[in-house]
Amino acid sequence: MTSTRHRSRKEFLQKTPSDGLEELRLAFHARLQSDRVHFATLSAALARAEESPGWIFQDLQFRAHKIRGGAAIFEIAAVEAAAFALEQAAICAVQSNANNTDVRVWASLEALVSLMGALDADAAPAQLPGPDHLLNTGAAKSLER
Amino acid sequence: MQSNNHAGKFARGGPGFDDAALPGPREAHERCRILVVDDDALVRARLAALLRASQFEVESADSAEDALRIMATTRCQVLLTDWLMPDMDGLSLCRNVRANSSDRYVYVLMLTIRSGREDLLAGLAAGADDYVVKGAPVEEILARVEVARRITHFGQALRSSKHENGRDSLIDPLTGAHNMRYLMKYLPRELERSRRYGHPLAVLSCDVDGFKQINDRYGRDAGNESLRAFVACAESCIRKDCDWLARVSGDEFMIVLPETKVHGAKRVAQRLREALASFPVVTKAGPVAFTVSVGMTAVEPKHERDGASKLEDVLRAADRGLYASKRRGGDHATAATVSGTRAAARGAQTGSKYDIH
Repeated sequence: MTSTRHRSRKEFLQKTPSDGLEELRLAFHARLQSDRVHFATLSAALARAEESPGWIFQDLQFRAHKIRGGAAIFEIAAVEAAAFALEQAAICAVQSNANNTDVRVWASLEALVSLMGALDADAAPAQLPGPDHLLNTGAAKSLER
Repeated sequence: MQSNNHAGKFARGGPGFDDAALPGPREAHERCRILVVDDDALVRARLAALLRASQFEVESADSAEDALRIMATTRCQVLLTDWLMPDMDGLSLCRNVRANSSDRYVYVLMLTIRSGREDLLAGLAAGADDYVVKGAPVEEILARVEVARRITHFGQALRSSKHENGRDSLIDPLTGAHNMRYLMKYLPRELERSRRYGHPLAVLSCDVDGFKQINDRYGRDAGNESLRAFVACAESCIRKDCDWLARVSGDEFMIVLPETKVHGAKRVAQRLREALASFPVVTKAGPVAFTVSVGMTAVEPKHERDGASKLEDVLRAADRGLYASKRRGGDHATAATVSGTRAAARGAQTGSKYDIH
């Protein structure tokens, strides 16, 4: 089987599907873009949720886990690793009752969303609306990097 | 009477021989069916496509609950399940499958993204046979599924062999009738059923008269043909799928007649004696004529003092009747009562046999 690691969506589209597997890969990539949009929504919610962001961390954990599993099956190692990082960060955030400025969550979220965007060259860049008050924090700086 | 070798053709009545209820040789040739359980539709579809390409039959379920529903109606040899799923997770599914395990083993292969050592141990402890981390090469996943196919196939072959051995161990290879083991296994059950529901049960003890002389005069082959002919004749005189007979020693047979009182047993004994007397058995050594002595007894729980007849008492009573028939020169049928019954008590008071032909 041909590896699909680090392959862009354009490359996928150029390849003529020889069996059902290619269609499934394309469908998975399409779903990643849908997930990317959802992450943008979640990040906006996280930016606003100063009091109790626990449910958002849990949602991030669940979605990251699902993406990780799918990426592993569809052999997209970079997405798998990035999703794993987000999943672990979300788990830690839940366990430590972190607030919505958790640096590790934001960094891993940014990394995953960027990577998902890179898979779809035509897609608009994801907008992660970090909270204004994060602009002067280390979290914001890490996002800028 | 034409001698027929029925050994191996078994259309024997009696309990315990419902082929449809037991796994048979056919099972060993079934294609391997895999149930893929994952809440991610794309992952399910991908795995299903891979497995179908490898000649597996594939069912898929989007939840553990759905998987259990499918497994209740469809035979799946291998369960390939994810761990984290809404509601019931893969571990719980494993435990459910193991808790409901029947004689048909389901090989469980967990395919999950959880790669920790503790996760692996938890999966195996829950009942998984193997554990693969998502992200493993497709070749590895398929190789592990192939192992599952091999093991389940081996298990099916073992069960088929056990089934065959089980049958063989209860069958007399010479005559094809049930054997002593079958008698000792199923007669107690017949007695228990008779006691529980208050239904009568008759037992006939039969002995071929002068069997040693047949062997001496016509040879062992002719003697064996005579025994097979006796079985064929006896089977024609009893109800199919209800009554049954077993060979308990060289020329001795027991016939078990559920739902039959002693009068019914007398009629069967009479039919059997008449049938044997009608035709000589055609053997290679020439026609062989023989008779049979019969002892019979019946338990009728409704009329018994303690409501329960012991197996030994029943067999002893049938044998008492048989010895009485032998003492009368053979070719007789004699009924005897089971000790401890009212009929026996009446017989003891009057000093008479229950009935003698």
